[in-house]
Amino acid sequence: MNYPKKHSALHLTEESTRSLYDKDTFVQNINQLITESELLKSLLKTFEEGDVLLEEGMPNKTLYVVLEGEVSQHKDGEDITADTGLLGPGEFCGLLSFQTGEPIFITIKAQSRVKTLAFDHNNFELFYTKYPEISRTLHGLIFANLAERYRNMLGLHLEVAKLTRELEKEKNHLRKVIKELERTRNAYISQEKMATLGELTAGLAHEINNPASALLRSVDYLSQNLSQLIESSAKLPSSWEIRYFFEAGLSREYADSVEQRERMKKLAGVFSHIQRSKLRLVAEMNDDLIKRLMQYSSKKSQQELLNLLIDAYQSGLFLNGIRISTGRIEFLVKSLKSYSRQSGKNPELADIRNGIRETLQILGHRLKSVKVHLDLEEIPEINCFVGELNQVWTNLIINACDAMKDSGNLYISCGVNTTNAQVWVEVADDGPGVPDKIKKKIFNPSFTTKTAGGDFGLGIGLAITQGVIEKHQGSISINDSEGGGAKFLITFPIDV
Amino acid sequence: MSDIYIICVEDEAQVLDVVIRDLEQLEEFFPIEGAASASDARKLINEIKEEGNRIGLILCDHIMPGDKGVDLLIEMQKDEFTHSTRKILLTGQAGLDDTIQAVNKARLNQYVSKPWKKEELLQIVIDELTDYVIETEDELLPYLSVLNQEKLQEAIRAKGFI
Repeated sequence: MNYPKKHSALHLTEESTRSLYDKDTFVQNINQLITESELLKSLLKTFEEGDVLLEEGMPNKTLYVVLEGEVSQHKDGEDITADTGLLGPGEFCGLLSFQTGEPIFITIKAQSRVKTLAFDHNNFELFYTKYPEISRTLHGLIFANLAERYRNMLGLHLEVAKLTRELEKEKNHLRKVIKELERTRNAYISQEKMATLGELTAGLAHEINNPASALLRSVDYLSQNLSQLIESSAKLPSSWEIRYFFEAGLSREYADSVEQRERMKKLAGVFSHIQRSKLRLVAEMNDDLIKRLMQYSSKKSQQELLNLLIDAYQSGLFLNGIRISTGRIEFLVKSLKSYSRQSGKNPELADIRNGIRETLQILGHRLKSVKVHLDLEEIPEINCFVGELNQVWTNLIINACDAMKDSGNLYISCGVNTTNAQVWVEVADDGPGVPDKIKKKIFNPSFTTKTAGGDFGLGIGLAITQGVIEKHQGSISINDSEGGGAKFLITFPIDV
Repeated sequence: MSDIYIICVEDEAQVLDVVIRDLEQLEEFFPIEGAASASDARKLINEIKEEGNRIGLILCDHIMPGDKGVDLLIEMQKDEFTHSTRKILLTGQAGLDDTIQAVNKARLNQYVSKPWKKEELLQIVIDELTDYVIETEDELLPYLSVLNQEKLQEAIRAKGFI
């Protein structure tokens, strides 16, 4: 219940009531009477400031009429005390409890020195019979008082209705604001995602361009070589030899470039007739193949055959290159597809290690000079949004790479903590680490150590990371790793 | 007469294979060597230097394990032995900052993005090598059959040999 403040803004009190039963006149009359009335004198009771006239909840046998000074009214609510205004001369205290016998409804305290008439039921009757004139006024005032209370109550009802309406309006407004905020937040998140995407596409361009280059050129040369091989194979004593070299090329092992140069120099004497480009290929062949080639090396007339076998070997190389390149593109596309998979509305049971591996694959271009130490123990599948967790791994790995300036050691491990049924993942680097001062605010949105402009991100990467992890009922914390770098520990409950 | 080498630096073997194959027709005049990393390339450069030969052109990837391609090119620009070597970046991705560095500090001559076309790459390499031999060689006639004839003839006229 709400109570009107002191002298509530009710306009329901009509002037006419006041003039008919005027409090001031009433008090004046009483004061005149007191001097000659023993009864009234005996009823006079004075309170000092702070004295309690009536206490809420207690039984009441007294009706006070204030003659001088003011009293205050307090009502105790469940967890709030309301001041419900001051009463002055001519006002009644304890009217309801006095008349009905119910416990006192409201606590009354003297606000200053207060002079009152204190009636009990007996002398109230006595007063009536002895002073019928003034009792009529008293009666009228009592009615006026009750009527005012009733009006107040109606006013309060109106007030409540009005407040309820305003509250509803406020609530709707708030709902709108929250929706707006959510939209802004989502916009920020997607902006940050775009930034990550920028980073990823840049990397992917590199990752795909390499195998694509190898693929395109290899196909060209293979088609050239093949048609030549078919044309000239008739000149060879057996086509078996061509196939032997072709297959050797197909299963070639890559040689060290410096070592190969040494071999080239040595072989230059033996294969004096062939071009340097062919010699380079010979230099990477094994001894068995070289021995076979030697049969044709001595005579210039057999040079065509020699070249044919080397071409067969090279065709094998190109086909092998094609195989490796397509494999890589396929793997990359697969990783990408699974990495960028949009999370559904509901989480799914998944092995989070797959997400970590895919993310490492996608970020390969950043990890060329970073040694990745993976220690991914067997862990149970957890209920999660795979795509969102990938964002987490991406953020943490890119942060680590940034911190190490793209060269150093990255340690990723995971495991199960059976005592509290948690899966944990640890991402650590051996970069410069994070100072204690900064550790506290590292998860705050817009905290960034990267200078503005030079970077894609907004500095809300870790805030988003934390948000995603909390959505999974998990936690993330930062510590120093043994080597001095930063170490992020993430945990997820197993039964979400 | 010392040999003028072409060096290709590329960490992915399949890509290195096709780069070298693309340039094969130049090998008669310019021996080609491949390196899988910047540090391999350094060893190679030293060897070539010790053998008394020169490096006319380097074709270099950027993103590789260890030192980046641009770092190697800057180093070569500072070294007297490789200062006049023509420098080409062949890469799928080099950030703007790295590329600016390469142009400013390594005097990068060309930037070729992957995947490339053989004819384009070959033409670029031929043009750069032509510039190199015009700058460093007195006798240009032997290169007429393999490099940019027009440019060479013009240079020969300018040098007043014919």
